[in-house]
Amino acid sequence: MSAILFYLATIVVYGAVDAMACLALNVEFGFAGLSNFGFIIFQSVGAYVAAVLSMGPWQKSNGGFQQYVLGWHLPWPLPWVGAAIAGGLLALPFVFLVGKRLRGDFAAVGLLVAAVLLNQLVNNFVPLFNGAAGVSIVPAPFQGIWNPQGLGYQFAYGGVAVVLCVAAYYLLRRVTESPYGRSLRAMRDNDVVADSLGKNIRLQRTSMMVLGGAIAGLSGAILVGFINLWAPGAWGYAETIVLFAAIIVGGAGNHKGAILGAILVPLGFEEVTRFIPPLSNPSLVPALEWVAIGLLIILFLWFRPDGILPERRRILSGAAPGPTRAQPPVPVPLDGSSPGGDPDALINLGNLDTMDFRELLHLAPAPADAPAVIMRTDGLTRAFNGVTVVEDVSIDIQRGRLTGLIGPNGAGKSTTLAMLAGTLAPTGGRIVYEGSDITAVPSNRRATAGIVRTFQLASEFKKLTVLENLVSAIPGQSGDSLTGALRGRRHWGAEDRANIERAEEMLHGFGLSQYADTYAGGLSGGQRRLVEIMRALLAQPRLLLLDEPMAGVHPNLAHKIGDQLTRLVEAGMTIVMVEHELSIMDAFCDPVIVLAEGRVLAEGTMAELRAKEEVVEAYLVG
Amino acid sequence: MSVFLSSLGFGIISAAVLAIATVGFTMQFAVTNVLNLAYGSVMINSAFVTYFLNIHGHLNAWVALIGGVATGSVASYLLNRFVYTPFQRRNLAPITIVIVALGVDLCGTFGLQAIVGGSYFTYRQSQGREWHFLGMYFSTLQLTIIAIALGVMIAVAWLLRYTRLGKAMRATSANPNLARNSGVRTQSVISTTWLISGALAGLAGTVFAMNTGVFEATSAQLYIVLLLAAMFLGGPGEPYGAMLGAATIGIATELSAAFINPQYKMVIAFVILLGMLTFRPYGLFGSERTA
Repeated sequence: MSAILFYLATIVVYGAVDAMACLALNVEFGFAGLSNFGFIIFQSVGAYVAAVLSMGPWQKSNGGFQQYVLGWHLPWPLPWVGAAIAGGLLALPFVFLVGKRLRGDFAAVGLLVAAVLLNQLVNNFVPLFNGAAGVSIVPAPFQGIWNPQGLGYQFAYGGVAVVLCVAAYYLLRRVTESPYGRSLRAMRDNDVVADSLGKNIRLQRTSMMVLGGAIAGLSGAILVGFINLWAPGAWGYAETIVLFAAIIVGGAGNHKGAILGAILVPLGFEEVTRFIPPLSNPSLVPALEWVAIGLLIILFLWFRPDGILPERRRILSGAAPGPTRAQPPVPVPLDGSSPGGDPDALINLGNLDTMDFRELLHLAPAPADAPAVIMRTDGLTRAFNGVTVVEDVSIDIQRGRLTGLIGPNGAGKSTTLAMLAGTLAPTGGRIVYEGSDITAVPSNRRATAGIVRTFQLASEFKKLTVLENLVSAIPGQSGDSLTGALRGRRHWGAEDRANIERAEEMLHGFGLSQYADTYAGGLSGGQRRLVEIMRALLAQPRLLLLDEPMAGVHPNLAHKIGDQLTRLVEAGMTIVMVEHELSIMDAFCDPVIVLAEGRVLAEGTMAELRAKEEVVEAYLVG
Repeated sequence: MSVFLSSLGFGIISAAVLAIATVGFTMQFAVTNVLNLAYGSVMINSAFVTYFLNIHGHLNAWVALIGGVATGSVASYLLNRFVYTPFQRRNLAPITIVIVALGVDLCGTFGLQAIVGGSYFTYRQSQGREWHFLGMYFSTLQLTIIAIALGVMIAVAWLLRYTRLGKAMRATSANPNLARNSGVRTQSVISTTWLISGALAGLAGTVFAMNTGVFEATSAQLYIVLLLAAMFLGGPGEPYGAMLGAATIGIATELSAAFINPQYKMVIAFVILLGMLTFRPYGLFGSERTA
């Protein structure tokens, strides 16, 4: 009987440790979209640090048969605190891998390799943590005053482990179910776009690695205090894959899914195989275990990619769910097929005519003494692999005007726009915005300074609802930082409700209220375009850069959008628009800049341009 | 000096094996944009096929090698056709495919281990007589491996430069959509590339096992690190870069083993890889392929 109870206590501790690790990895992978293939080193560093902080100096302990650093002999809980700190700090050397410049899979491979490297170093460098043999006879907390082999102790240990696991769950939930969590998921769905809306990608990813690392470190400390030894064999890089399998099975982006996955995969595999009788080939069962983990990953990603407990769709509600949300959400299949008829034909922007953009977007008319030019470029140049795509472009963008940017395919329009927004770094020349040189300013900081862009290709945050897409763009949210989120709903709740209301009003204006709670990835092409425009507007730009906003949009709708852009300009916004459609340029843009082969060919009103032979030759005819 | 020369000799052999492997690995990335982390498991499975044909099938090692090469080729083709391509059709993020690749690697490596067991296997054949050049020593086997590697490099260069298939591969790698619209049958180009690169994986795995002499099912598990380091050094998806990267990594690891500490011989590869990812993720000479 007592053997079963001991076994139960062990399972509780292992389960809590695995669940904490999965929760931490899930917040990195499932929420922030960061594939930390080196995750196991964070748990491991926690185990080592907790061990060497609780053990005495190696020369004096157990006859000095093992070597290690520190040996401070600290009382509980200090070794565990130290472990959490070490796990968090270990994230910092990897800051360079998680910026937006490096592809996600390359960064993942970098982390994987770092994990293998650290394992080899610890394995071979004995003075650090006693090399391949590892540290052993790690004291259990309170072992001088309480017998760690006693059943009472073992259950108390399990209880503490579970309490800490539950604490981690609530802490992480507080972070993810906040405006900050929304920004994390936005980054996961599309980092380039999140960046263009002012989110600091590197900081967000680093913060999540530090937070996840700290929890992983603590989980390692709990484990080592219980099993009393830790060696490189316990944390091969493949252990991370087991945790990934757990999250994929349980459900990425869902905390409960992470816990379920932890129970099914690492704990379940470990415990079930314990009951298989020994075979003549001792490596057979462990080998088949790995095969099963591999198969589990492949089969789940194919048949049930969202896991057993999929990510929850978040229904936002403002202070007063007014008439704008009267209609129930229309379920739209995620593959983009429409439930009947062309949904674009149903879009009606009529509500917009009565909308006060100045109030909704906090727009102010430019002061009378403001310089006429809001942005200037000077010899702007961009080359790819030695091919110059944009060459020596010097343009002035007039404040309070809707400037058009036209040119034949490959003229460098989108490249120019990307450089203005900071998505792409110029290889030459400079950009001056409101009197200061912003050439080297990263795009997220340009967004906070009022320069916001849209993208030519679909760029909605697919697994955020339409309303979440819009709210995520609103700048200056007090819950949109790690500290803000940790202060809780009381800190940011009221403000968030007000923001949701603003977004609902915008949605109502664009006639899409019924889609508020639909995943943006499930909308039609035209609807997604509108979501993107709304989202860019809610970022409260002073200079809005639109990259072919009417592409693929029904012509009637395109003209309606154009009318609203004109109203926005009247309300005090400056807009630059790349567009193919000349009728749009005719109707709405003044001035128009013509680019051809990467250079500025001409500039003026459409009427003036039509009179210029070289423009007609380069573009209007050809 | 003699330490330098003898470790340089070791480096040249490592580089030869690595070059064969890396060229195949980088070609797969070039045409399908997949970091095939299961490459090491294809290598070791092929090596075992050669071994069993040689030992139990009583075939000459170089005849058995053909079996290993065919195994790598067919396995890679099937892997791409029935695993990676279906996943890619779902427009998933590249990272999903990499996670799938890790899953495949576990299945391949440990599936093999479940069959052959966890013990070591040894090639009992002679390594041939010893040759002495410029202070470096090579066995006949090692010289053969170097010759095979040089032959493979020349063949790949010729393929890419002078054949229709090579041009189609380069076009598919640079811009698959444009290539398709220009009449390149990208799907069959991709299939052929996986057949060829898989053959290289099989060849590399076999000569890797012959060169070490002693190997087991998980022997190639960490080889992926050297592959990645060599590939990123030369620029991902660049076959010539892969050759140069493999030469550098192969020689650098052996020299560092001789002059720093053999236990840390992989460290130089790790450091180079992390440095490349940080500062020049598209290779020493490359830049991001952006339209």
